[in-house]
Amino acid sequence: MNGEIHTSKLEELRVVHQPLARHDQVGKIAGTTRYAGDFAFPGMLHARLVRSQVPSARLTRRDVTAATRVPGVVAVLLGEDVPNNEIRVDVPGQAVAVGSLKAVMHVLATDRVRFHGEPIALVVAETEEALAAASELVEIDYEEVPVVSDPLAALEDGSPDVHQGGNLLAEWRIDRGDVDAAFAAADVAVEETYRTQFVDHAYLEPEAGVGWLDEDGVLILRVATQVIEHYRDVARILGVPDAKVRVIAPYVGGGFGGKEDMTVEPYLALAVHHTRRPVRMQWTRNESLLARAKRHRNVMRYRTAAAADGTLLAQDIEIVSDAGAYAYLSALVLLYSTVHACGPYRVPNVRIWSRTAYTNNPPTSAFRGFGGMQMVLGYESQIDEVARKLELDAGEVRKRNALVRGDRLPVGQEIITEVQLAQTIDAVRERAGDRPAPSGPRKRVGRAIASNMQSYGRLVWLNDSAAAWIGFQGDGSLTVRCGVPDIGGGQASSLGQIASEVLAVDIDRITVHFGDSALTPLAGTTTATRQLLMSGNATYEAAVRLRDQVLAAIADETGQPVRGLRMESGAIVGPDTRVPLAHALQVCRRRNVPIEALGSFFGPKGREVTRDLEGDRIFPDFTFGTHLADVEVDLDTGQVEILRYIAAHDVGRAINPMSVEGQIAGAVVQGLGQALLEEVVVIDGVNMTPGLFQYLIPTASDVPDIESIILESGEGLGPFGARGIGEPPIGPPIAVIPAAIADAVGARPTQLPVTPERVLDAVARGAVDAPEGATA
Amino acid sequence: MSEDAGVSVTLVVNGTPVIRTAGGHLSLLDWLREAAGVTDPKYGCGEGICGACTVLVNGEPASACIVLAAQVDGADITTASGLCEPGGSLSPLQRSFHQHHAAQCGFCTPGMLLCAHAMLRDAGRRLTRAEIREGLHGNLCRCTGYTDIVDAIEAAQSMGIVR
Amino acid sequence: MFVKPFRYERAATFGEAAALLREAPGSLKILAGGQSLLPMVNLGLLDPDALVDITYVSGGGAIAREDGYLSIGALATYRAVEADPLVAAGQPLLPAAIGWVGSSRIRSRGTVGGSLAHSDPTAELPLVMVVAGAEYELTDGASSRTVKATEFHESFFTAALGDDELIERVRVPVLGPGWGWGFAEVSRRRGDFALVAGAALVRVADGEVVEARLGLAGVGERPVRLGGVEIAVAGAEAASIGARVGELEGLNPVGDVNATAEHRRRLARVVAVRALTDAAARAGRVT
Repeated sequence: MNGEIHTSKLEELRVVHQPLARHDQVGKIAGTTRYAGDFAFPGMLHARLVRSQVPSARLTRRDVTAATRVPGVVAVLLGEDVPNNEIRVDVPGQAVAVGSLKAVMHVLATDRVRFHGEPIALVVAETEEALAAASELVEIDYEEVPVVSDPLAALEDGSPDVHQGGNLLAEWRIDRGDVDAAFAAADVAVEETYRTQFVDHAYLEPEAGVGWLDEDGVLILRVATQVIEHYRDVARILGVPDAKVRVIAPYVGGGFGGKEDMTVEPYLALAVHHTRRPVRMQWTRNESLLARAKRHRNVMRYRTAAAADGTLLAQDIEIVSDAGAYAYLSALVLLYSTVHACGPYRVPNVRIWSRTAYTNNPPTSAFRGFGGMQMVLGYESQIDEVARKLELDAGEVRKRNALVRGDRLPVGQEIITEVQLAQTIDAVRERAGDRPAPSGPRKRVGRAIASNMQSYGRLVWLNDSAAAWIGFQGDGSLTVRCGVPDIGGGQASSLGQIASEVLAVDIDRITVHFGDSALTPLAGTTTATRQLLMSGNATYEAAVRLRDQVLAAIADETGQPVRGLRMESGAIVGPDTRVPLAHALQVCRRRNVPIEALGSFFGPKGREVTRDLEGDRIFPDFTFGTHLADVEVDLDTGQVEILRYIAAHDVGRAINPMSVEGQIAGAVVQGLGQALLEEVVVIDGVNMTPGLFQYLIPTASDVPDIESIILESGEGLGPFGARGIGEPPIGPPIAVIPAAIADAVGARPTQLPVTPERVLDAVARGAVDAPEGATA
Repeated sequence: MSEDAGVSVTLVVNGTPVIRTAGGHLSLLDWLREAAGVTDPKYGCGEGICGACTVLVNGEPASACIVLAAQVDGADITTASGLCEPGGSLSPLQRSFHQHHAAQCGFCTPGMLLCAHAMLRDAGRRLTRAEIREGLHGNLCRCTGYTDIVDAIEAAQSMGIVR
Repeated sequence: MFVKPFRYERAATFGEAAALLREAPGSLKILAGGQSLLPMVNLGLLDPDALVDITYVSGGGAIAREDGYLSIGALATYRAVEADPLVAAGQPLLPAAIGWVGSSRIRSRGTVGGSLAHSDPTAELPLVMVVAGAEYELTDGASSRTVKATEFHESFFTAALGDDELIERVRVPVLGPGWGWGFAEVSRRRGDFALVAGAALVRVADGEVVEARLGLAGVGERPVRLGGVEIAVAGAEAASIGARVGELEGLNPVGDVNATAEHRRRLARVVAVRALTDAAARAGRVT
C-alpha cells in the first residue's frame, strides 16, 4: 500500500479497514478463474451478429438464403424472428413537447439502421469457421439516408430526423436566483466553451457469454454483465415469464458502465430460444470498439461571475450532449451533468440549460462518471480562470467557495454530510512539495490542482433496494448470498469483510456466492457507485439480524442478559460465559431459532423530477476530492509527460484500503486516458478507430505512480460510514491535466483529448517560446 | 475458399504434452482455448496489442492470438497457471501480486504475470520502477492504473523469482 | 476467432516457398513472424487462401560478419538482432531502432525479412536499412538478385519484390571509424507505430562534419533520404550540426487519427535535428 490514511473518527474494527488480500484474486492470479467466455458445453453452438456497414440507411433488402446454406449453419435470424423486437426505454421527467418519449430500439434492425455497426442479423452455427463464412453471405441492401453527425446541428431547424419526432431526446433546466443581476454586479466574468470526446470503456474482456436451457426449460445466461436484473428484459423480448429466465454473472473482466446495458444477452437468448441448444457468443474487440455504447461527448459553454475576493456569484451554463443513435441512458446521464455542473461549490445564482440530441453517431450510455465527470473540465477550468484573473491562489478560491454541510446545490439538494474538500486540497499540496525543475531547455513544467464532487448511490426516486442473505453452516463457517455482480472492484469480497466484522468469523471461513438472479437475493446494478452503499448495507443488516438472533437464543438458554454477550472468533462470549459457536448453533436449532437471516436496504426516497430540475434530494450523497498533477511539456513535439499524480478523497470509511487505493488509481488512469490519448473518432457517422492500434489507452509507461491519500470522515451513508469511491476519481484528471499544461505554457487547452497538436496550439497561444521548427 | 484438412500439432503445455489435430489456420490462442481446454490466456483484441493472450513459447513471451499453433509445433508453452508451484500454490511472483492487490478484474493478470516473469528473469539485475513500467508497456490494464502491479513486481525482485 | 479457414503450408526452404508462390499467384501469403500479417487476417483485412510458413527454414536467421558487412538472415527475429554483439558493433542503428519496435512479444517473433517485405513507411527497420546503405538478397529458389534498400521500398506496403520472390538475407555495411549514429522517434505511446522517425549517420573529423546520412520514416510512402540536408550540414561544426538543418524538402506526410500531416511535418524537423545531433555527438566521442 502506498497511500496514507487520515481518519477523523477511529473505531475498533477488526477486519473492516484492514488491507486484506482479496480472495477473488487468488484464482485470477493462478489463472483458474473462468470468465464468461471460458465456459463451453458439449454440442455448443456459436453466434455472431451481422452489423450495419453504414451509419444511416433504410434497409431495402435482407436476404439470408446463401448464408443459411453454409454447412454448419443452424440458423440465421432477422428482426422478424424476434418475438418482441422492440426495446422501449423510459425517458424520465420530460415535458410532453420533448416527447416523454418511449425511446425505441430494436434487437435486430428491420427497415432502418441508425449507426455504424447496428445489429441486423444473427448467425448461429456449429463452428466459428462456419460463422465467419456465413456472416459474409448475408445480403443487405442499404439506401443511404443523410447522416446527422453533430448534436448542435441536430438541434437546429431543418436537420434530418434520426427518429420520428425530432432530435431533441431530453432537456433539463435549473434556474435559481438572478443570474443576470449577478453578472451585472460581478467584478470578473469568465466565458469559455469546453468540449469532451467519445470515449470507449475498453475493458480487457470484450463482451461474451454462454446461454443454455436447463431441465425445467429455464433459459440460463452466464454473461459478463453489471446487471443480472436484465433477465426481465430478456423475458420480455422472448415473450416468456420473468421466472423462466436466469442470469448469472461470473467475475467480469471490467465493466465501467459498458456492461450495464444489455450486450450479448438478447442475442444469446434468441439463439438458445430458437435452436434449443447451448450457444456461446464472443464479441470481437473490433465489434466492441465499433458498436458498444460510448461515453457522451459534451459541449459545455460556461459563463462564470465572481467577486473580487473570489466568491462565485453566478454560473450560466449550456450543455449539449451527443445521445448517438439510440436513447439508452442519455437522459439520465444528462441529468447527472446538469446536477453536477457547478461542482463542489456554493453558487447562489445559477442558470443551466442542458439538452441531449440524437445523431447517427455510436449510441452513448453509461460510463464511470455518468455525465458528472465531463463537467469537471468545465467548472474546474472556470474557477482556475477566475483565480488567475483575480490573481488569487487557486486552492484558496476553491476553499472559499467549497460547499459545507447545510448548503444546497443549485438543484435544491441539501448537503447532509461533512465536506472535507479543503482537507483534500491541503493534503495533495502538502504531499507534493516543491515543483520539479524542467529536464531540459525545450521543456516546461506545470502544476495544477482540480477538485470534484460525484454522487454515489442511484437517483432517489428509483426506489433503489438491495438484499443479502447470510447463513451459518453447522461448523460455524458462513455462507453469504447476494446478487451483486463483481466486476473487479472487490464487490463480493467487501461483503465477506463486512460479515466477518459483525459475526467475528474468519474471512477464510466465509464464502460469498454472488451474481445469480435465481439463487441469490437481488442487489441491483453494479453501477452508480452504489454497491457498497446498497449491498454493503444489506449485508450489514443481515449480519446484525443474524447476530442478534443467535445472541438472543444463547441469552435465553443461559439466562445471561443479551446485552452482555458478544460474538468472538469461534464462540459467544459473556462476562461468565463462553459458548463455542458450533454448540451455540445447535442451541439455536433446538430452540427453532434460524441460523440465517435476510437483510434488506432501501435507498433514500424522493419524488421524480421534471424537466425543470428541482428537488430536496436527487442523489443519496456525494464524494469529494482533489487531485494534483505535475506535467512536463515538450515544446517541440507537444508531448506531455506526467511527472507526479496525487489524489485525495474523503471515502467516509475505507472498508478495504487496498481496494480503495486500487479504485482510485484505476479511475485516475482512465481519466488520464481521456485527458491525453483516447478518442473514438467518428466522421460522418463512420467509426474510424475500431482497433486498439487506433484507440489508444494508457499503458504502464504513459502514467506515473498514482499516489492516493485516503481521508475518512466517517460520514458516508454506507456501512461503517463509507462513501462510494468507484466513480469519483475519474473526473479530476480531465481538468487537472489541461490546467497543468496551462501552468506550463501559459494557455489552457479546452478540448479533449489534449493531443500533441492541441498542446502545441496552446504553446503558440501562450507565446512561451517559438517551436524549433518555426522560421525566425 | 480453401479449407485445411487438419494439422497435427504437439505442444508441451505447462509440462504436459498435448496433441491435437485441428485446422492449420488456428491461432495458438484458439488452439489452446478450444482444442486443449486451456482457458487462462484470454482473447482481448486479436491484434497482438493488449497482452491478455500472452503465453511463453520456449520461454519467450508471445501474443498467442497472432501466432499459429502450427508455427510452434513441438514448443514448450507456459501459461499463467504454469507459473504456480507443483501442487498448485502461488509462485513468489504470484504471491507478490496477491499481496500488493495487483489484480482487480483479473483479465489482464495472466498475461501480465508472464511478461513480468520473463522480464525479471532476463534482467540479470534489479530493475527500477521506470524500467518495470517500460517492460510492461505492451500489457494493457484498464482496472488497476498499474501502480499496484509495479509495486508487486518491484517487491518480487527480492523474493527470488528466477527459476 | 472468426477467421475464414486458410490452408497451412510449411516450406523447408525458401525455394519451396517460392515454388508454392508460383503455383498459386495472388492467393498465397508468406508467413514469417506473423506480427503484421496475422493481425490483418484476424481483423478481416486479409483473406488468403493459404499461408506458407517459412519459419522452419533452417539457418534462415543466421547472423554473421563478413568482409565489411553484416549478413543477417531474413528469419532473424528483432530480438536476435537486437541482442547480437556483432550487430551492436557493426551497425548500432539497428539495436537502437529495434528498441522502438512494439513490445517484447512482437520482438520475440517478428522477423527482419517480414518487416522489410511488409514495407510500412513508418517502420523503423526499412528506415535504418535505407540510411545504412543496406542491400537485400532476393531469391526465387532458382536464382538470386540483390536490390538496394533505397530501391526496394517503393510505396505504402509495396516493395520491389516479385510475385515468387522472398528476401533471403540482408547485407548491411559495417559502420567505419569516425562515424556516429543517431536515432529519434516520436510516437503517441511507447511502442506504438512511429508518427515520424529519423535515423542519422555522421562522420566527424577534428570537430567538423565530414559526411552525413539522414533518413526519415513517416513522411511519405517510403523512407526518404534527405540529400539536401546531408549537403547542408557537411562542413558544419559537429557541436552545432542542428543549426545547419534548414527547410526539409520532399516530405509528403499523410494525416490519420493519430496525427495530422502538419504535425508530422513539424515532427520531421524535430527528429531530423535530434538524430543528427546525437550522431554528431557520438562521432565526436569516437574520434
